Amino acid sequence: MSTPVLTRSAPVVGDGTTARTRAAGRWRRWRVLLAIVVGLVLVALLAALPEPRTSSVRLAPDNPAPDGARAAAQILGRQGVHVHYVRRIADVRAAAHPGTTLLVASDRLLDEDQVDALAATGADLALVDAGWALERLTDQLRALGASASSDVEARDAACDDPDARAAGTITAAGAVEALGPGAVVCFPGSGAVSRSGAYAVVAGSPRIAALSDAAPLENAGLADEGNAALVLRMLGRHRDLVWYVPSVDDTSGASDASTGPSLVDLVPRTVPLVGLALLLVLAVAALWRGRRLGRLVLEPLPVVVRSGEATRGRGRLYRRARAHGHAGAALRAGTATRCAARLGLPRSAEPAAVVAAVARATGREPGTVAHLLYGPPPTDDSALTRLARDLDDLESEVQHP
Amino acid sequence: MALTWRAVALAALAVPLVLLVPATGTVLLWALLVVLACILDAALAASPRRVAIERAVPASVRLTERATSTLTLTNVGRRHLRGLVRDAWPPSAGAGPSRQPVDLPPAEARRLTTTLVPTRRGDRVADRVTIRTVGPLRLAGRQASIDVPGRLRVLPEFASRRHLPSRLARLRELDGRAAVQVRGPGTEFDSLREYVVGDDVRAIDWRATARRGDVVVRTWRPERDRRVFVVVDAGRTSAVRVLDAPRLDASIEAALLLAALASRAGDRVELLAYDRRVRARVAGTGAPRLMSGLADALATVDAELVETDWSGVVAQVQERLSQRALVVLLTALDPAAVEQGLLGVVGQLTARHQVVLASVADPEVAELRAARDDAAAVFDAAAAERVGLERQAVATRLRQRGVEVLEALPDELAPRLADTYLALKAAGRL
Repeated sequence: MSTPVLTRSAPVVGDGTTARTRAAGRWRRWRVLLAIVVGLVLVALLAALPEPRTSSVRLAPDNPAPDGARAAAQILGRQGVHVHYVRRIADVRAAAHPGTTLLVASDRLLDEDQVDALAATGADLALVDAGWALERLTDQLRALGASASSDVEARDAACDDPDARAAGTITAAGAVEALGPGAVVCFPGSGAVSRSGAYAVVAGSPRIAALSDAAPLENAGLADEGNAALVLRMLGRHRDLVWYVPSVDDTSGASDASTGPSLVDLVPRTVPLVGLALLLVLAVAALWRGRRLGRLVLEPLPVVVRSGEATRGRGRLYRRARAHGHAGAALRAGTATRCAARLGLPRSAEPAAVVAAVARATGREPGTVAHLLYGPPPTDDSALTRLARDLDDLESEVQHP
Repeated sequence: MALTWRAVALAALAVPLVLLVPATGTVLLWALLVVLACILDAALAASPRRVAIERAVPASVRLTERATSTLTLTNVGRRHLRGLVRDAWPPSAGAGPSRQPVDLPPAEARRLTTTLVPTRRGDRVADRVTIRTVGPLRLAGRQASIDVPGRLRVLPEFASRRHLPSRLARLRELDGRAAVQVRGPGTEFDSLREYVVGDDVRAIDWRATARRGDVVVRTWRPERDRRVFVVVDAGRTSAVRVLDAPRLDASIEAALLLAALASRAGDRVELLAYDRRVRARVAGTGAPRLMSGLADALATVDAELVETDWSGVVAQVQERLSQRALVVLLTALDPAAVEQGLLGVVGQLTARHQVVLASVADPEVAELRAARDDAAAVFDAAAAERVGLERQAVATRLRQRGVEVLEALPDELAPRLADTYLALKAAGRL
């Protein structure tokens, strides 16, 4: 080839944009996203600002639901009691000390070490719905099972405890039985075991008050009968109330320093900082790799139609229709046509002439040839396959007699 | 704004730093420093928009041959420009290298060449030229993509031109033989010359001999100035891939070889690529420019997924041809398509012209026909057998209408069509 004809473009300088138009374009592209982000931030701020936080934890002082205890906590707070809401034993240990009241709301998630830790704080204990812990904390009291007085019912004080007498009547279920002489038991249920009741006090240091049922403390039941009076007097004995609601994921445990530092304590202080530095590296690397050197180039490609597709489709149709006869006829017709052409017969040759010519060429019996070429159609897969093989044999004999 | 790996390395210095001074402030301060350094560097980088770019690219190149696109970059700004340049082309243009470094002092120019080895026929339009400059610290830079127009037409490969010398030799043979032996309809009167010993006495023109007093013989030559009309079917049957190339490509190869041969033989060649409308047309071009015109016109023809409108083809042929001609239809011998379309109208063509139908055969069908592996394969074989029979039947019907039917594998179609042309010419059937 001779030297190719070159087409030259006129020199191009820049892409026709200025800093101003690029900024305008960027603003146009990003403004919707920006508006959405700003809107989300505003909504988040609004949601975070005014409303004090609430939870849905049972008997929590910030739970306004019927099974919460925010009403009691708020009344106590208004009366000058500082309520410290804690969920971890470690925090209990930090906040509770002699001269404070420690409320244990339900003991279901406590283990023995944790109960011992509660006792070790030296704070006055107020146990609500904590029968098992009660037995571990004092030998004067024992919780009765659910079988005894399990219905919530109004009960009279029927004892000398000033708190109980002030309350007069409460609504509660369950019972605590006194085992020793130091325990005062109030609010016996109907038909209960002797010296048992919903509320019990073991005087001493620390003082232990137990309520067999959480119903008087709950928001739903606080206003019934004398519940409020009992609960407020029980929890309001000191200026500081540690409100402990055990949690499942509390691993701080009763296991104090003796079991060694936790995993978090073992990690050096620099590790999170190095992580932060690596985050910076990652961000820069992402920006480095993320910028493409120019856009992707698109190319319309021609359609791809595979050859033989229609033929295969037809074969599959035959198979699905189980058209063995049809397929056999096609194979026979192909063989007959090729044999006839090979033996010099015209396309319009009669079957008999074809059979005679093929029989002569191969030396086979005309009957078998006729049966093979024009016999009954095959009816199943194996017959069809056999027919195909036989036709191949016949054809090869005609081709190379 | 674009960053380099150096910016990442700079950011990574935060790790040893934080080990020396373990505080959150260290990381934040360092991040601020990295950001400021990158912004400063980008601000000091040369503007990629202050570069004059000029592109020179060949107008056309034959498929599988190599072309070069040359970019001339002139720095019209005041800053020293360092960076990367990408000359983007579509994938099938086979462009390389994909990115090139450039170092361009102010008011100087550099030439960057991109090698193009196209893998597909058709027009390849250059995409944007992207320039990424870096600042003096090589931390960050600026980037712009600029439209620099450029187009490369990839012509058909014309691999079948290797068959041309042998066919031309046969043509010359035909030429020489005509003077001596053949006196049939395949030749036409050329001139008179004096008798030399060895000439066929039957060639003596007695009337001229009487006039001149010398013995004079007539000489003959193959007929010339016949018209060859090639129709390339660009409909759905041409989109089918046979041996991983569309039928259309084999048709184009055959058309090019036939055109080259016929123009050397002195015939006038016209070409039409058609599906439901005219996709390409080459007519009234003299022999010197015929081949380039054909290649150029056929370069951009792609098969469309539509049924070919054969009555439209016939109308086009009749409009262009007033005298007898050789009409070559490069299509597929697809039984259903032929029966629906061509068979109905081909009579109008054969009435006045010699018609040849050349079709690319599909080796896959033959393969399917021989398969005997299992019942499914036998069913496929039966289907292939049935398709073969139908094809034979339709070919027979076409032959009955006076059409010369030719079926060959993609590689063999072009030489077989050339042979058919030579045979028709020798037989004087043009």
